[in-house]
Amino acid sequence: MAMNYNAKDEVDGGPPGAPGGAAKNRRPDNTAFKQQRLPAWQPILTAGTVLPTFFIIGLIFIPIGIGIFVTSNNIREIEIDYTGTEPSSPCNKCLFPNATPCFCTINFTLEQSFEGNVFMYYGLSNFYQNHRRYVKSRDDSQLNGDASALLNPSKECEPYRRNEDKPIAPCGAIANSMFNDTLELFLISNESQSTPIPLQRKGIAWWTDKNVKFRNPPGGKDLEERFKGTTKPVNWVKPVYMLDSDPNNSGFINEDFIVWMRTAALPTFRKLYRLIERRNDLHPTLPAGQYYLNITYNYPVHSFDGRKRMILSTISWMGGKNPFLGIAYITIGSISFLLGVVLLVINHKYRNSSNTADITI
Amino acid sequence: MDWQALQVSDGPKLRTIYLNQPDMNAFCKNGISTAKYSMWSFLPRYLYLQFSKTANAFFLFISILQQIPGISPTGKYTTLCPLLIILAISAIKEIIEDYNRHLADRLINTKSTVVLRQETWQSIMWEEVKVGDIVKSTDEQLMPADMVLISSSEPHVTCYIATSNLDGETNLKIRQALLETAKMQTEKELSELSGKIECEGPNCHFNSFIGTLHLNDESMIPIGPDQILLRGTQLKNTQWIIGIVIYTGSETKIMQNLVTSPLKRSEVDKVTNVQILLLFLMLLVMSLVSCLGALVWNDKYGENIWYLKNKDSKPSSFGYDLLVFIILYHNLIPISLLVTLEIVKYIQALFINWDEDMHYKEKDLYAMARTSTLNEELGQVKYLFSDKTGTLTCNIMTFKKCSIAGVIYGNQSDTNDDSTENLGQFPSPVTPSFEFNDPTLLMNLENNHPTKEYIVEFLTLLSVCHTVVPERHGKDIIYQASSPDEAALVKGAKKLGFVFKTRMPYSVTIEAMGEEFTFEILNVLEFSSNRKRMSVIVRTPMGKLKLYCKGADTVIYERLSENSLFMQETLVHMEHFAKEGLRTLCIAYADLKELEYQEWLMKYKRASTVMLDRTENLEECYDSIEKEFLLLGATAIEDRLQNGVPETITSLLNANIKIWVLTGDKPETAINIAFACKLLSSQMPRILLNTNSLEATQQAINQNCQDLGTFLGKENDLALIIDGETLNYALDSEIKRKFLSLALSCKAVLCCRVSPLQKAEIVSLVKKHVHAITLAIGDGANDVGMIQTAHVGVGISGNEGMQATNNSDYAIAQFSYLEKLLLVHGVWNYFRVTKCILYCFYKNVVLYVIELWFAFINGFSGQIIYERWCISLYNVIFTSLPPLTLGIFEQCCSQESLLRYPQLYTISQAAEIFSTQVFWFQCVHALIHSFILFWMTSKMLEHDMVLQGGHTTSYLFLGNFIYTYVVVTVCLKAGLDTLSWNKLSHLAIWGSIAIWLVFFTIYSYFWPTIPIAPEMTRQANMVMICPHFWLGFFMIPTACLIQNVMWKLIQNTYKKSFLEEIREMESRRTRDLSAPQVLTKRMEGSLPNSLSSQPCEIVFQDDSVQQNTPYGYSFSQIEGTKITQEELIRCYDTSKNQSKKHSNIDHLDVIYE
Repeated sequence: MAMNYNAKDEVDGGPPGAPGGAAKNRRPDNTAFKQQRLPAWQPILTAGTVLPTFFIIGLIFIPIGIGIFVTSNNIREIEIDYTGTEPSSPCNKCLFPNATPCFCTINFTLEQSFEGNVFMYYGLSNFYQNHRRYVKSRDDSQLNGDASALLNPSKECEPYRRNEDKPIAPCGAIANSMFNDTLELFLISNESQSTPIPLQRKGIAWWTDKNVKFRNPPGGKDLEERFKGTTKPVNWVKPVYMLDSDPNNSGFINEDFIVWMRTAALPTFRKLYRLIERRNDLHPTLPAGQYYLNITYNYPVHSFDGRKRMILSTISWMGGKNPFLGIAYITIGSISFLLGVVLLVINHKYRNSSNTADITI
Repeated sequence: MDWQALQVSDGPKLRTIYLNQPDMNAFCKNGISTAKYSMWSFLPRYLYLQFSKTANAFFLFISILQQIPGISPTGKYTTLCPLLIILAISAIKEIIEDYNRHLADRLINTKSTVVLRQETWQSIMWEEVKVGDIVKSTDEQLMPADMVLISSSEPHVTCYIATSNLDGETNLKIRQALLETAKMQTEKELSELSGKIECEGPNCHFNSFIGTLHLNDESMIPIGPDQILLRGTQLKNTQWIIGIVIYTGSETKIMQNLVTSPLKRSEVDKVTNVQILLLFLMLLVMSLVSCLGALVWNDKYGENIWYLKNKDSKPSSFGYDLLVFIILYHNLIPISLLVTLEIVKYIQALFINWDEDMHYKEKDLYAMARTSTLNEELGQVKYLFSDKTGTLTCNIMTFKKCSIAGVIYGNQSDTNDDSTENLGQFPSPVTPSFEFNDPTLLMNLENNHPTKEYIVEFLTLLSVCHTVVPERHGKDIIYQASSPDEAALVKGAKKLGFVFKTRMPYSVTIEAMGEEFTFEILNVLEFSSNRKRMSVIVRTPMGKLKLYCKGADTVIYERLSENSLFMQETLVHMEHFAKEGLRTLCIAYADLKELEYQEWLMKYKRASTVMLDRTENLEECYDSIEKEFLLLGATAIEDRLQNGVPETITSLLNANIKIWVLTGDKPETAINIAFACKLLSSQMPRILLNTNSLEATQQAINQNCQDLGTFLGKENDLALIIDGETLNYALDSEIKRKFLSLALSCKAVLCCRVSPLQKAEIVSLVKKHVHAITLAIGDGANDVGMIQTAHVGVGISGNEGMQATNNSDYAIAQFSYLEKLLLVHGVWNYFRVTKCILYCFYKNVVLYVIELWFAFINGFSGQIIYERWCISLYNVIFTSLPPLTLGIFEQCCSQESLLRYPQLYTISQAAEIFSTQVFWFQCVHALIHSFILFWMTSKMLEHDMVLQGGHTTSYLFLGNFIYTYVVVTVCLKAGLDTLSWNKLSHLAIWGSIAIWLVFFTIYSYFWPTIPIAPEMTRQANMVMICPHFWLGFFMIPTACLIQNVMWKLIQNTYKKSFLEEIREMESRRTRDLSAPQVLTKRMEGSLPNSLSSQPCEIVFQDDSVQQNTPYGYSFSQIEGTKITQEELIRCYDTSKNQSKKHSNIDHLDVIYE
């Protein structure tokens, strides 16, 4: 049948050209984009094409994983729990509310020496710093030194916003519950003598926090003057401007305070407490041996079954000790490699069977 | 008899129109509107529409909730802002779309027409036409409103109109004005007209009208449908007419037939709504779990946590907690989904508009997507309802082949169109390749072939036996015919040297082989669908009496004399023609004896004066002389199909689409066309339902259902043909279901002589009872109903009336473009939209379920782990591009493959890749991913000691890690879903990751300069120098996606889908014509109901079933008008140059004397 269409015929025989709608007057140009013919890559996911990728992933991931794992394992770390819930613990006595202030001492031994910079952390468990009502209970404007927010803190700080008609500085639940144990570390050099390990208070907070995010309110030289008209948080012993004798580490820019204000993601967390800088001589920062930890025990955690720990750790290029990443890399790499092998076998078999099927058609 | 029925059904709503008293005729305006909104209704209707979408209503609810102080973990405006942006974007889109509709309406409303105002003819716009106006229309013009015909330029005050816009019938119809008004032609006469017209109120019946004209308050003259010119009809072959407007605008019959423009929603849209509901349930479950968790946690710790104690230490209520968690998790429902889809669909629509393959160059018409909400529906069509005239056919008849004296001519004309030199002496205005084109016929004529006598007789018959009127335009002769078949035959004869030149009241003159002959026309034995033939009795120039007849093979053959030759050959030839879908007519003649004729003439005169049952008497009388025929041969006329229709239909059938043809035309014509376009094949049994009572219909349907037995409900190689009247009964509520199941068991269904409303009814029947997507395609106003009813309505653009186009969802210029529209755009769009939706669900579940995991370790307090504006921007910026590229550029395979293997259509048709099951599958994936992402990252940061300075980190540090990994994972997942990566996909996937990292860096520098996000202060610095971050950056997304890759691999290796094979084949570039063996095997297997014919075990008891080959008889001619064809042709004397009008109307009486 003659179905090849002819133009003239239609014009002759057909109805006269219709008045095209307004929208029809545009003439699209014949580009690849408009005709949907842009060059495109069409990946085909079959065993054959993806196999190499699996092997490559395996071959890359496993060595990386091993590297990370080894690095992590080389990090020295010791963790001392000083909660004192066990009756045998020296800090057990501090659990009773009437014993304030309470001092206790815990002895421990470093089997191996810690070299390079050593970092001292305190760790809390079962402490929900990530609770919504807790996280929001702060006023960043106030902490940034905003004068109006200082005297009129955000409503988010409730119920730690005002105390006895005075605005609290720093306001909110986070600040109010700041960690206030004091930890001191001593090396027992011989039977009777002990040397205190020098602990650095500065440099423990993020540089940006200390210099950008946290600022003392403006005003005169005197810190106390700047905080005039405010009151200390309910739970605190002393006001914020007396946190440290050094004016560069007092008030809102006190580094212990800044560290605390960076609320942790998990209910078990660590916070940097002090730095132990490595010594310039060739001796290890913390030689192997007997140490004791002096604790001023103020911070109550037993009411919510919390635990308190002190951690000493060296730091590698990738931070502290955590074997997880290395293990994960090795696992993923191995799985990938294994899948590669399985697929290889399957592919081989399938190809054979499909070939025979083709022949029998 | 209809009168009473109508009066009852339409009630007493009479209308009175006072002539020339415009103040007294207050009826509706003539302007029409097919737009969705007006200036005033936009805002309420738009808002209603938007908020009736579950998702939008939900976000509105959340936005309101967030205003309660202290309840929202994410601030007050983090939902409201994106919501407003999104509503604004889609409002702009709606406005643009509706504006175009207004423009199209304006085009119609501002057409000009001539109206009598202040005693002069004035040109005004259509929308200004009022009831009572006297309108003058000229040839080829469309009627601006429903009018009563007053007078016309033609003899007998008749006029021809084309009603194809209304009922799809192609033949011209005649309207005749009342003789009482026929003389009113001048401005003066008309403006002095006084009186009134009383008529029934507006209704939707095309073929009925009751009215009375009170002229000058004297007499009452009844007005019937014969005097009515409806809006949408076109004046043909008539210089001018004058009419009085009776109905305007929305009250015109054509507009009354419109179903009110529905707001269509696609199936995918509905499924999406269900899925959003499921997500909402998931959200509720998550919230409830969290609430319970909060209860337990508070019970366990609440009292003892001194650092959290509120002043009023009362733990918060359950309901309050629930709201907190709903707000926390509400982003699980993708806020950007709807707007993403709107953008995606808008661009998909542009792609349809831009497609050069759907560009009809002759008229410079591009395809037009008038709505973009149904793009993916195009990929799911299961039932296609097609109009015939103007949709499948071009509405052009051509004389194609013939068989004369047992010799077939015109057979080889398909192949060559360069052998036309022989015809050079007859210059033809039409391109020869479609016309009858066989030099052998002329050669036989010239070379004194043994059959020469027959050929001459045959061609003479063609040029004499008809009711065509020639019209001279300079040298050319234009034939005007009420029957396009006759016009085609006369034109065909002219081309072969038998030129019909002049018609005079009692004779015709033809020029045959250079000589002029005048035939005296003694009688015209009219055509009727009962008789299926028409004859003329002529006196040849030699003075012989002859009866020339043409008609259906069945009626001619039973009247052939025993001496007739070539009976067998002609029959074979006709069968051959019919198989090609050509319309055949048998050609025969009889020599009459003078005496016999005189006797008959007496009988005839008696019959024509009988008052009772005159038609029956006349037909009986005709019958008595139509006998002892001698067969000459047969003609084959092609009702020309549009380009590529058979191929398109074959392709669509292969794509498992059922095609129903709904036409206003006769069954014969419809069957012919169905054969021509390969919808029917000769070995296909046909069930004919043609009854005239409810009982008979019921019985026929029951009998057929019974015969089908177990095959009922399955797809059989059967065709069902039903006519309008029977359909009326079949759609009766009692047997509706039975009829439907019978129709669904057939491969092809033809509904003939159906009204526009019935078309819509059929579509809605299928739509209601079959869970499948329907598509209706048509070109005329009579198709508007079904176009609006069907899930998808497609209009053929480029015709005079733009009604179909204006009411359609998609407008294309040619039926064959449907193939590309459905098989390519439809499938692509379906894949695109569904992938885009599933992906949007996926990415939101991944990010926000992490909040739930986080809740487990933060005491179910509702704390967010990410920064709040990052959460809002996730959907709007960081992961907004991959769904867009998925939705816009994804190609499951190339256009060529989709067209070559229509079976691919079944994938989208069966909705396999977008179901609740797939949705859950995707959700489970997302849950696994989110768990891996959260668990691994938090494990990685477990001891807070990941920085080189030994510094400890915060919750947001973890949050930013996770957020980054989520963005990476989710973008790569989009990559995995992408089957076709072009440069923009690359840009979207890699770009999104980059955008987040850049934004992250910039954002963490905001505080304290810009007072938002203090907790983000300089996070980026610390995160990006952290080695763990980069190590996890590569490891964690790999850990998530390795299982997805694995899934796909197993699927592609073991259960390789048809699509996958095509893709592999494409990538191998083995694009040879023969598909690999495995492929062809699968192609057959992939069709659930193989289209290969059933073993024909069905034994039909019902006599309505035909199994023989049809002979393809078909003929269109006006019937049932007051004025007969004979009377009509007797009025013309075309020998005169100036006027073709035989002015004397009284002439009529002469004939009957």
